[in-house]
Formats: sequence, C-alpha cells, structure tokens
Amino acid sequence: MITPFQIACKNLLRKKVRTCLTLVGIMLSTWVMVSLFGFNEGYEKALNRDIENMGYQLMVMAKGCPYEAATMMLQGGKGLRYMEQSMVNDIIKEPEVEKVTPILMQAYFDPNKGESGGIAGYFGVDPASYPAMKPFFRFRAGGWFHDPAAAEVVMGYEAAELEQREVGDLTLVPEKNVQLKVVGILERTGTQDDGTIFVPLKKLQQIAGTDKITTVGIKVKKDADMAKLETKLYQLKDVQVVSFSQVKQTILKLIATARVMVLSIAIVAILIAMVGVINTVLMSVLERVQEIGILKTMGAMPGDIFLLVWTETLIICSVGGIAGIGFALLFARVTDILVRRILPYAPGGGLVAINARMSLLTLGTIVAVGLLSGLYPAWRAGRVRPLESIRREG
Amino acid sequence: MITSVKVILLALVLSLAAASVVLAAVACDLNDADRDVPRLFRESTSYKVVYVSIGERGGAPLLKRIENRLGSAYLQLYAPIDVPYTLYEIYRNKEKVGYIHGVNQKGQFGGIQIFMAQDLAGKVKSFYIQKISGKSAGKFREAAFVKKFVGISLKDFDSYDPVSGKGSGKIAEIPNPAPEMETDFYGVLRGLKKNLVLMNEFVFTSERGKP
Repeated sequence: MITPFQIACKNLLRKKVRTCLTLVGIMLSTWVMVSLFGFNEGYEKALNRDIENMGYQLMVMAKGCPYEAATMMLQGGKGLRYMEQSMVNDIIKEPEVEKVTPILMQAYFDPNKGESGGIAGYFGVDPASYPAMKPFFRFRAGGWFHDPAAAEVVMGYEAAELEQREVGDLTLVPEKNVQLKVVGILERTGTQDDGTIFVPLKKLQQIAGTDKITTVGIKVKKDADMAKLETKLYQLKDVQVVSFSQVKQTILKLIATARVMVLSIAIVAILIAMVGVINTVLMSVLERVQEIGILKTMGAMPGDIFLLVWTETLIICSVGGIAGIGFALLFARVTDILVRRILPYAPGGGLVAINARMSLLTLGTIVAVGLLSGLYPAWRAGRVRPLESIRREG
Repeated sequence: MITSVKVILLALVLSLAAASVVLAAVACDLNDADRDVPRLFRESTSYKVVYVSIGERGGAPLLKRIENRLGSAYLQLYAPIDVPYTLYEIYRNKEKVGYIHGVNQKGQFGGIQIFMAQDLAGKVKSFYIQKISGKSAGKFREAAFVKKFVGISLKDFDSYDPVSGKGSGKIAEIPNPAPEMETDFYGVLRGLKKNLVLMNEFVFTSERGKP
C-alpha cells in the first residue's frame, strides 16, 4: 500500500524545477544560519584561546598610555611610557598574583622597509620568568637565550619566515645598528607571538639605553578575585591596568554589531524562503484541487489531506535544511578565511565552529518555521469540497 | 562607512560563501599595490592580481626544473611547492602590457624582497627592493643603482653567475653600491635571477607554447 510519504514525494517530483528552487532557498537560509551560529561560537572560543595563550591575564603599564603597542606602531616608539622595574617586586607581593614577568617593548624605524620606511618592533623579555608564562611554546629550531643579557633573539614563526632567518643567522636592530644572533625559532602558535622578535630584557634595555620597562605581565592565581587585584593595582603610582577580560568584552561588543546585522539578514532570508515554501505548496494544492476532491470522495478525511500536504512541507524543509547544514560544514573553512579577511580583528584558530547541537537546533528551527508556513496551504487543501472541485473545469 | 561596508560584505560572505579560490599564504606581495604598480609601471591604467604556484603549474617536475635552472642552494626558493606567488598583470586600458613579480631572497641581516616590472618580452622595465636590512641598505634602493637593471633579461645571466660573482656582460658591469654589504649585493643579483627564472617558467614559457 502506498503511504502518505510516498504520495508526498511523488507530488513534489511532479514539478521538479519548482521544488528544486524552493529547496535551494531553504538550503541557503540554513547555510547562513548555521554559519552564523558557528561564527558566534567559534569567534568567542578563538578569542578566549588567544587570551589564554597570552600567558597572563593582566598587564600593568605606565599611566597615560593604555595602548602601548598601538602607540609604538604610530609613533615609532617615541611615545612609549616607561616604569621602574622595581614595580615587579610590588606586584608579586599581592596574594592573588601567581607569576609576573617584566617586559620592555621597543620599536625602531627602518627606512628600508617598504616605500617610506616601517617600524621594527622588539619584545624584551626576562629569560627567567617569561618562558614559564608560555609553557605551550615549542621551538622549531634552537631554544631560549643562553644568557640574560646575550646579544640573541628568538623569532616567532612568521617573523623568521619574513626575515628568512635560521638559527645561527644574524639580524640587525635598525637605527641602533646592533647585531643580534638568532638562537631560536618558534613553531607556529596562531597568535601574535608568530610575528614577534624576542630579545633578552637586559640586552634590549642596553640597546634602548634605559633600565626601565614598559609592561608587567601578571598571571593570576586560579580562583583569585581579579577585580579585587585590579583595584589594588590601581593604587600603585602612575600605572594603568589592562585586563584581558575587558579587552575581550570590548572586542565582542564590536563584533556584536556585525552579528546583529548578519542575524537580521539571516532572518530575512528565512522569511523569503518560507514565503517560497508557502507559494510552492499552495500552488501544488491549487493545481491538484480535483485530485484532492476525488481523494475525498473515496473516503479521505480533511485530516488525511492536511497531513498529506503537511508532509510535503516537511520533506522540502528537512531536505533543504540538511543540505544547508552540509554546505555550511563543507565550506566552513572557506567562510573562515573570507570572514578573517573582512574582520578588523580576527583571533587565531578556527573562527567558524559548527557542532551537532547547533546544526540540530537550526534544522529544528527551519522545519518548525516551515511547518508553520505549510499550515495555510494544508488547511486550504483540507477544506476542498469534493463535488465542487470535481465539477470544476480542469 | 567602511565598517558598514565590511558588515555588508560579511553578510554577503556568510550568505553566499562562494567557493572562490582563497589563498592563505602568499610568497611576496607589494605593500601597497595601488600606489606601487603605477610607480613601477608608468603607463599602467589598471592591474590584475593572479596567484600562481609551482604545485599548480607543473608540480614536482616543474620544481625540479626551476631548481636546476637556479642551479645553487644560494638561490633556494624559500617556499613550499604549494605557496602561491603573487603575479601582477599590468594593463594599459584593456591591453596587457607587462607584469610585476617579487621574490624573497636571504640577505645577511634579514630577508630581501625584490620586485621587478617586465614588459611582454621579459625585459626588466623597473626594479624595486621593497625590503632590505643593513647599515648601508639604503644604497641598494637608490635610483642610480636601480636604473642599472633596466633592460636586463634572463639571457644576461647566461654569461654571469650570481653565486660566484664571476662572468661578463651587463650584470657583471653593475657595481656594488655598498661594498661593505657584499652578501646583500649578491643576494640582490641572485634574487633578480630567481625572479626572472620564475617569471620565465610561470609566464613566458607557457605563453610561447600558446597557438
């Protein structure tokens, strides 16, 4: 015996082009929705991962200059504000603090970089405390500095690639013309460390002619009250505290605007697809009024007809939804790369993380909205009067 | 305005996510192509960026051929077989008039990025060192030095070896503007040869093969 499902399939296959176009509409909406949900989840995860990879959750820097790195790039290091290295001793005393590391950022103008010169940035780190903050660092070649004041550098993966450096090669600090030997090249981390050139803190202080530092990285103890620590750090003289959780919130707020915009577009796409579903199913009902009438004269109840038409809607929405999820999964990497090109800031790692939960949720939403769209055509079909419809001219 | 454009683009990307070819890593790009292309190719009115990789164009046999033509470890490609090279096709109105292509070459204190503009016959029209490190590195970027490379073609390297620094002809006559940076001087010449060989394989050999 033929089932309502088989009849629904046959009906849909009668008008292949129309059915296909409706399926494409639903597929595209699902694709957008799944990709959007995947981006929502993936971006935050990637951001968290980037922040965790910083090794420290708080940074203390000289007051008046909360965005040291940006200043460094804009003013070529001239606008950097410094603080005493003894600040490290004050900070480590706090009970919430697990580890601290002093950092000196320096930038020098290289006139032979690009058409009108560029900035070469250096990160002076303490060989005794910095590596412990980055236990996940792996060396592609070589290792950390041999001496706390050695004329050596450790290069991030991309920095080494750009400069074509190998362990044992020399590099030159522009402006100062100081030669440094490459002793280590890091494996790719997918973070800003990939483009960083690390120099022993003492050596960079010597090159810069200062005994001061620009930043203190602070790793907070597990379960410590971060807000309380921040308040205490603000009591230190002339310092600015930057918490990565604040940075994260700021970035997420910026991204939220884009998310709302895309979500609105996704909703419009779904509405358009659903209008397509109503149109397809309603057309199919109107074209089959006589058939429905015959079915009714043969004993089919309005509920049977309703179910039959609703099954068609269910098939269209389910197939379109599954295809959309498939495409979203298939092109997740492409979406990731394109989104990365457009966003002003994109953390490392995958930005689009699609999982089974969100795929099922999207499929459920599409099917539910689709079934709602199918209500009217199914109701119209159920209300067809048998004799009237048979009498109608075909 | 830019933000809203980006948001719209993001929306389009998410809604269409077309399977266009996206290239993650590129061997050597101009820092600001809109500014640099007209500077290097005066008669250009527009340009098109094309990505070519050894993997795509001929795979391992092509890599081997290029390595044989380069002939020395000093001229290593410093890039895996699948890394896309950025090739700028230059147009005057709708007519293609030449190419710009760049390569990385190892220098004494850092990477050297060497770009050259070539006409359709493969002759160097202009030459640009985008990046070079060293005390006297600026001398390699001076107009007087750069001009000496105008008119050079791959044929000129038949009589000159940029690894040993021996030979004759146009290239042998180019003086080192910074004698204290000898490694980088030969690095520039090696980079130029590498650039010419790659362009010959990527563009001129295949164009000659066309009916």
